[in-house]
Amino acid sequence: MTRLPPQRGERIDRRRPVDFTFDGQRVEALEGDTVGSALYAVGQRTFSRSFKYHRRRGLLCCAGQCPNCLVQVDGAPGVRACTEPVREGMHVEHMNASPSLDFDAMRATDLVGGPFTPPGFYYKTFIRPRRLWPLYEKVLRRAAGLGRVAKSRREREWRTEYRRRHADVLVVGGGAAGLAAAAAAAELGADVVLADEGPAPGGRLLAEGGQDHAREAAEHARRAGAELLSNAPALGAFDGLVPVWQGDTLHQVRAKRHVYTTGVIEQPLLFPGNDLPGVMLSGGARRLVSLYAVKPGTRAIVATVCDRGLDAALALIGAGVEVACVADLRADAASPAAQALVRRGVELRRAATVLEARGRGHVQGAVLGARGGDGHERVMACDLLVVSGGGAPATSLLCQAGARTAYDAERGVFALASLPGGVYAAGEVAGHGELHAAELSGAVAGAEAAHSLGLGDADSRARAVAGSERLSRGPVGPSGVAVPPPVAGDRGARCFACLCEDVTAKDIHLSVEEGYDSIELSKRYTTTTMGPCQGRMCQLPAIRLMAAETGQSLEQVGTTTARPPWQAVPMGVLAGRPFEPAKRSSIHGRHRELGANVMWAGDWRRPYDYGDPRGEALAVHDAAGLIDVSTLGKLIVRGPDAGEFLDRLYPNRLSNLRPGRIRYGVITSDAGRIIDDGTICRLDDESFYVTTTSSGAGAVYEWFSWWLADWPLRVHLTDVTQGLAAVNLAGPRAREIMAKVSAVDCSSEAFAYLDGKQADVAGARSLILRIGFVGEVGYEIHFPAAHGEHVWDALLEAGADYGLRPFGLEPQRLLRLQKMHILVGQDTDSESTPYGAAMPWIVKLDKDQAFIGRWALERAAEEPPETALVGFTLPDGRVPKEGAAVLPESGDGQVGQVTSARHSPQLGQVIGMAWVPAGLARDGAEVTISDDGKRLRARVVTKPFFDPEGEVLRS
Amino acid sequence: MSYVLTCPNCGPREVTDFSFGGEVNPRPTTRPDKRELGAYNYFRRNVAGVQREWWFHRSGCGAWFLAERDTRTNQVLLTELP
Amino acid sequence: MSLDFLVPSTAAVARSPMEREALRARARLETRDGWTVAVSFDEPEAERRACNETVAFADLSWLTKIELQAGAADLAAIVASCTGGGRLELGGAIRVGGAWWCPYTAERAVVLCEPGAAARVRDRIQEAAGVAGGLASAVDVTTAHGALAILGPLSRELFARFTAIDLRPQLTPVGGFRPGSLARVPGAILREAPDRYLMLFGAALGRYVWTVVSDAAERLGGRPVGADALEPFEERVPEAASHA
Repeated sequence: MTRLPPQRGERIDRRRPVDFTFDGQRVEALEGDTVGSALYAVGQRTFSRSFKYHRRRGLLCCAGQCPNCLVQVDGAPGVRACTEPVREGMHVEHMNASPSLDFDAMRATDLVGGPFTPPGFYYKTFIRPRRLWPLYEKVLRRAAGLGRVAKSRREREWRTEYRRRHADVLVVGGGAAGLAAAAAAAELGADVVLADEGPAPGGRLLAEGGQDHAREAAEHARRAGAELLSNAPALGAFDGLVPVWQGDTLHQVRAKRHVYTTGVIEQPLLFPGNDLPGVMLSGGARRLVSLYAVKPGTRAIVATVCDRGLDAALALIGAGVEVACVADLRADAASPAAQALVRRGVELRRAATVLEARGRGHVQGAVLGARGGDGHERVMACDLLVVSGGGAPATSLLCQAGARTAYDAERGVFALASLPGGVYAAGEVAGHGELHAAELSGAVAGAEAAHSLGLGDADSRARAVAGSERLSRGPVGPSGVAVPPPVAGDRGARCFACLCEDVTAKDIHLSVEEGYDSIELSKRYTTTTMGPCQGRMCQLPAIRLMAAETGQSLEQVGTTTARPPWQAVPMGVLAGRPFEPAKRSSIHGRHRELGANVMWAGDWRRPYDYGDPRGEALAVHDAAGLIDVSTLGKLIVRGPDAGEFLDRLYPNRLSNLRPGRIRYGVITSDAGRIIDDGTICRLDDESFYVTTTSSGAGAVYEWFSWWLADWPLRVHLTDVTQGLAAVNLAGPRAREIMAKVSAVDCSSEAFAYLDGKQADVAGARSLILRIGFVGEVGYEIHFPAAHGEHVWDALLEAGADYGLRPFGLEPQRLLRLQKMHILVGQDTDSESTPYGAAMPWIVKLDKDQAFIGRWALERAAEEPPETALVGFTLPDGRVPKEGAAVLPESGDGQVGQVTSARHSPQLGQVIGMAWVPAGLARDGAEVTISDDGKRLRARVVTKPFFDPEGEVLRS
Repeated sequence: MSYVLTCPNCGPREVTDFSFGGEVNPRPTTRPDKRELGAYNYFRRNVAGVQREWWFHRSGCGAWFLAERDTRTNQVLLTELP
Repeated sequence: MSLDFLVPSTAAVARSPMEREALRARARLETRDGWTVAVSFDEPEAERRACNETVAFADLSWLTKIELQAGAADLAAIVASCTGGGRLELGGAIRVGGAWWCPYTAERAVVLCEPGAAARVRDRIQEAAGVAGGLASAVDVTTAHGALAILGPLSRELFARFTAIDLRPQLTPVGGFRPGSLARVPGAILREAPDRYLMLFGAALGRYVWTVVSDAAERLGGRPVGADALEPFEERVPEAASHA
């Protein structure tokens, strides 16, 4: 391996060799190399095959911006070789070429497949005959995509640390301007974070002789107190939240002010053969030389539109590369760099550019001539073609943050036109390319950001103003740029506008012809800018082509909307933590120990059953069952106006509820629709205990407190949902079991149905509600959650002799269905009224108190509902699916639906609830249910299936 | 949607701390006719511009408050207790 | 009293919502004031190191918590009466009488104290509430919230892993009380001392919050510690001077 003599500021450590493998072959590299520089140093020139046509691609930018060097590293696909540091023993493999990079069978698509794969080909080809689609799909799937993901899950695992970082000022971009901005803001006392995508701060300085300057500037910023992050690209700007990805950490930076110093992106030139390996951006060639001491070629031709290319030519000469000719598109290039080249005897052609690159598999020569390609063309041999189409300001993040750009015809780029409040731009992205101007603009921006936060003093403000004035006076940007044509010459042949997606200039022409003549449409149709480079290489060239095709100005064509992520990022970085917020009752551990099958019910984990749902349900009828209902919403409503408050929110009366009594309540919206249901127990004159459905707890608290914010009532609400555990002990033996754990008199005279009493249960102070969701005599015991296991254990122990069994949600659902107790949200939907839901008795329109929903319910009372909720039985044993349609007597369509259905072992038949046409809501009526295409005849039942008169419940 | 909302009690928080309560929609003061009732229950102005709306600090103080927010840019102009 | 059924009694075992998690991490439990408390993990050296050098977390769910609600003027009067003239400002909690008084809104606050001091605090509140002009409520919410102490120099780094609440010292001084989302669930953070915080969250989320905190702490070289590794809640920080 040969390297150039030691370069000032080189990143390699020649004393520390590093070995890795590339496609199984051992490669010798040096510590500090990237995979790209190491491979280039040993002669690798083809780094990948292009996406669609599988054309050879070589190093182009050496800065992680183009797609040409994407490889697979240690099983992770989509890694850019030109920025990935080498590590001892790493396994690098090529992507998108089979069987090898040098011989790729898929190259056939380039040679013959063109007609089958024009832009939007998936709308045109591979469609007929339809029966061949499975084959087409198989072929296309194999051909599509870049890289392979490991099959083994363990190999794919990725752990990202998420770290929230608040800051006063976030500086994005760590070049000269960014470092100056960070230092300036930090010196004024701001809490500053700087995020830079490079391995060390300094940006372009590092490869262009400014490494000492970069180091000092970084030190200065650190000493001032700024936090500098390296290898940390910002992924996007989300309303002021900027995620910065650094290795296996995602910094979620929320800063008050943002300074973007993201620089420019060097642009390629468009000409036939522009994607050949050996065609390299001037910055790329310089980086190979300066950072890695790698000679990019032996005989080079340079084609440029600005001084960047000239500076690169000088650097190449310094590295011993023969520069055969420099073609400068500018008619009058008279800068110091031009003069230096001429002094060295380099042929410098003005008003000239490259019209074509030639070579098989690698550039071997170039055709140079005047723009437009009229006459005086020369073919010259070379093994390196360095191009520079100028620098396009990297405005994507700025635009995501709300900045606007406008076309600058002089520079031929889209430049910043306006910034939203709180956002600043400095350095090359803002048009200040010269080093001192860049640093000054950075310092001014940093100071302004700090000042806007109230930091600094009169002196610092005066200095910032002076700096700003100096900037507006001085020269802006590089000394002249020539705007390149959309395509050099008029050869028309294949030149690639979008390297990532293999979109040629001709493809863009075609898309316009087919009518996709706006930049957003053409982008989506051709997929230009949608690849790994996200438009870095191709946005501007594509806009130039569109302008030429449509005859519009570039300003009229405009840019596409900038979107995140700006940098390609692995899904694992965005996946979030694998912890799901799960609520669990304080008794949950016992359920697990009892072998419960646990399910999600809203955001709670609940026992579905304990392995025997039938047996558990039967036990409630035969002996007793115990179910954990801690998930119920529980609200304390207290105050002198508590009764009135509840009367305003419920359609029935609650203010006349006596202390120690319970009433069922349904909450209706102002449209008269059922929102939630539950029980209300009056504790004393001024206190009520309201329960809600498990999933409705939050919504009911919000609903109650919202109205309370408006009504001048003396009421306090306290949400104790998670503070109290609750269990329901139900069955014929429940009374006896209660007697063993509590001194409260459970005789039916002393403790009647719908009574609520406070007493100790197993030593825990409790509120006992005698209600009957499951149809048997039952006691719902509410007590402090901390006593959960204690009380549960005591009850199970006390009930052991009586055959007490715990039961889960599934048997509970069956039991409540036997009683036709509705589940809000399952048996009702957002349009259900109490009238439709067969509980007209709950709406007390004669109540004095105005209540939410009254107006709508008064109207609903006048018009009978179209559909009504009823129970039904089915003679044969088939249980229809929930949601099964209820069919009309004749004709097509659906006139209702099944909301719940189960087979009841206690009753020995299939029961359910359904919405049916109101006319059929009477006992004995027959309705037809369609379940998976099978028609079933059901019989309507309007009273509960089990214990219709509620005698068992009240016993 | 990642903007910051300033709760009048707790200070600035990520917008995900809060439940959105909809645009301010005054309740009829006298018995509305059918059309007025329908409009109140189902129609909203849904302005593209500054909207006065309700927010609930679900993850924090549990208070309801009002905000004025430009629905086009998510810029929040003010928040205040009702 | 009608709301007695909210208050844990010493006649029945009271367990923290994170007790099983603590046991899995090999905590040793002791019964104190009716609660089983994870007093130690029997690794005094490692526990001490975590508290002083990295980050430690301890289950303090057994702390008594009382939610106070009253009109703004009444609440201010009750607080002043119970704290010898103390005044609550939004965002700032005060420590008086062995208890932290933490404001949510101008009309709602939560009082945190050790179970042993609870009776005294409750009595004072009852007395003060009795002379309030309007409605005043004091509801025991001890079992509705779990509580974790977070301590050590990496405390803020730990919080940064799961909350967007800004805990930079210049913005959350000692005494700062910050209700907001923690690990995607409602909660609050109280800064008790320069490197000691108390986080509150829904009791039903105990296992989930322990998992999140434990995972984050482990990555930072920290660990759970027992209640005995902490200086007593009541006595540690000198009483705050009365705020006029």
